[in-house]
Amino acid sequence: MKSLRIICAFLLLIAVFCSCSLDSKYSSEFFAMDTVMSVTACGKQSETAVNAIADEINRLDRLFSVQNKNSEIFRLNSEKQLNPSDETLELITRSIEISSMTDGAFDITTEPLSRIWGFYSGLENRVPSEKEIKAVLPSVGAEHIKIDGSTVSLDKSTSLDLGAIAKGYSSGRAAKILEENGISSALISLGGNVRAVGTKPDGSPWSVAVTDPDNSSEQIGVLSVKDRAVVTSGGYQRYFETNGKRYHHIIDAETGCPAQSGLKSVTIVSQDDTLADALSTAIFVMGLQKAETLYNDNNDLFGAVLITDSNEIYITENLKDSFSSYHSYEVIKA
Amino acid sequence: MKNRIWIIIFSVTVLVCTAVWIGLSFFPSPSKIVGIYQNGSLVEKVDLTAQTGERSIELNGDYGKNIISVTHGRIEMKSADCPDKLCVKHGELKSAGSPIVCLPNRIVIKFENQSGSADAEAGALL
Ligand SMILES: [Zn+2]
Repeated sequence: MKSLRIICAFLLLIAVFCSCSLDSKYSSEFFAMDTVMSVTACGKQSETAVNAIADEINRLDRLFSVQNKNSEIFRLNSEKQLNPSDETLELITRSIEISSMTDGAFDITTEPLSRIWGFYSGLENRVPSEKEIKAVLPSVGAEHIKIDGSTVSLDKSTSLDLGAIAKGYSSGRAAKILEENGISSALISLGGNVRAVGTKPDGSPWSVAVTDPDNSSEQIGVLSVKDRAVVTSGGYQRYFETNGKRYHHIIDAETGCPAQSGLKSVTIVSQDDTLADALSTAIFVMGLQKAETLYNDNNDLFGAVLITDSNEIYITENLKDSFSSYHSYEVIKA
Repeated sequence: MKNRIWIIIFSVTVLVCTAVWIGLSFFPSPSKIVGIYQNGSLVEKVDLTAQTGERSIELNGDYGKNIISVTHGRIEMKSADCPDKLCVKHGELKSAGSPIVCLPNRIVIKFENQSGSADAEAGALL
């Protein structure tokens, strides 16, 4: 009888073990920040963590949204002065830093431009006249934002849009929540902003594909990463066509028009989610040559995969061992 | 006597459960369908689990011949005339995110699963 009991206990243990290894993976998909988000986590607290992430991202969306009339950004844009939450203040401050790091290629004050091009829901996409663009340009630029202590003020016609950085900031927060819950294996995708947390459960790196900008169902290569954000910006993601010409949504603050830098898609790999998100837009705007200079000065901060309009692929040297592709590519050396 | 029978039944159950668990953890994905591509188009799909014995597939490219070897549950580039031989050095195809690539002869060998070969895709809005 005693041995029977031991065997029973052993069996129970195995049953628990079995169910644990099957149940410890938890996935969730949800809509926020005008896109689809998915989080998959492996570990004991995965369900708690994934649900906490969804709550946190929805909370951040309510702070950062340009469209939501109750958001802090909406209020700042209409009142031109606000004492925002720590998160909003932190993100605006960081945006200004990245603006100066990229010589203005990254710019959160392009809201009035996106508006006249009709890139907000409820507006119609249209090509504005040169006169309209010229009228708006003087209020564009990070120099129109003033931060005094915890007060943010904007010049009269200036408005902010954190759309090119908010998802990156959110994925950084999500990674933090996973860490707090002791999860060392997870994959986050916030509308194509990918964050690989730790490794796969078997210890191998996560593989993150880079979308072919000409055909979204194809991939131009795969990055093997651990603990990295991988973010792509491309003109193919959102655009409209008029008279046979395509106009995408990434506006160059200098010209007031969709950026035409010769790049079709920019993928940034970094430990810093916020930076990865912002730089993918900035480099898309600044083009290959300036990207090389930026990489030379900051090769410890990020790596990049660039695809030019003529379909050449460039990767930075620090991604040489993690990028695989059956296309040929050039390596940008530091 | 009755107890002994129960002990045997339980022991067998324990063994089976353990074996299944070990099996599951070693082969997490049942998908062992591999696509062989050259110049971006599909040459052949191979089910590694259905393969018995060894089979060779020969492909010719600008830089000569590649020989792919398929055995049960395993595929690799056995030899290649390409200058870098990276495809041969890659060894066995193990993960979806790391396909066997012969750049000079434009050959790709990768696992086929429903949503591409990677765990995630940057830039895809879904
Ligand atoms: Zn080769």
